[in-house]
Amino acid sequence: MKTPREILLDRHRAAEPKLEAIRREVVAAEFHGPGRVSSVSPSESLKTPETGKMPVLLLIWREVIWPCRRIWTGLAAVWLLILAVNLSMRDPVSNITGKPVRSGAVMISWQTQQRWMSELLTERPMPPEADRPRNVVPGPRTESSAPTAV
Amino acid sequence: MLVVAEREHLPVPQAKAGVPEAWDTLFRRYQLPLYVYVFELVHDEQASLDLVQETFIAAVRHIGSLRDDAKFGSWLFGIAHQKCIQRWRKQDREDMLRAEISDEAVRSADSPDELLLRREQEDEFMQSLNQLSLPQRSVLLLHYVEEFSLEDIADITETPVGTVKSRLHYAKTALRKLMEEKYENPA
Repeated sequence: MKTPREILLDRHRAAEPKLEAIRREVVAAEFHGPGRVSSVSPSESLKTPETGKMPVLLLIWREVIWPCRRIWTGLAAVWLLILAVNLSMRDPVSNITGKPVRSGAVMISWQTQQRWMSELLTERPMPPEADRPRNVVPGPRTESSAPTAV
Repeated sequence: MLVVAEREHLPVPQAKAGVPEAWDTLFRRYQLPLYVYVFELVHDEQASLDLVQETFIAAVRHIGSLRDDAKFGSWLFGIAHQKCIQRWRKQDREDMLRAEISDEAVRSADSPDELLLRREQEDEFMQSLNQLSLPQRSVLLLHYVEEFSLEDIADITETPVGTVKSRLHYAKTALRKLMEEKYENPA
């Protein structure tokens, strides 16, 4: 008499050599293959139970970057686009002076702003007399006329 | 009451730490039950071997998602179950998994060892098992092969516990009925 478990397992015992091969192949590929997790001794693994001896960069690559590689690629493309747009919109540099060449309208606007700034700084009204701080030199404490309580 | 497999001392923490020998031990422990489960669902030897391999690879790469080390077995079977579903989806047979069965409590005396079969009944058992619907077969295999608890089976199949109970009950009833018919009317 057999249990269903025994029947089921016995029926598929013939597949065990293939399963053994698969198991060995997976372990070898995942732990000894290129770019995979390196072997870690059990004593070392106890010190860092989560990551073992796996390099941090490799861990970041495997856990953060590789699973979302399309998103990261998209982000990189967007940043490159932003950089390209930014570079193309920069002021052109004069070949002779090495200074940025400004257009006439920009120069006029800049000069106007400079003029306003100078007007604001030069025509600033002086504060009224009452608001000015008084230059009072305090006398010695011993000459103080305030009565002392006994 | 369901008989839950005794807790084994499996090197899950070491596997989490990336020790190859620990993975080898774990895979050796589960390779045949996993293959039986997958094969009895897909009925294709090469596809079953591929699915077991994919399950192993996924387990190594996603071990970080396993929170309770004691649940490694059901977690691994859950991966295999998902791989089977993905395969069925590719084959446009998703509807086979959606057979809804009304909820009914399973009889408490139904343990995996309750059903003992003579040698001449083994073929009838296998034939009858294959006549069950996929959801029923899946639940019954998990119950028989690894003696998973109802909660574990619910986790593996991502199904409510009540549904698992009813599926298991109806699967056993249907299996008995099919076997009795075969026994009474042998071909």
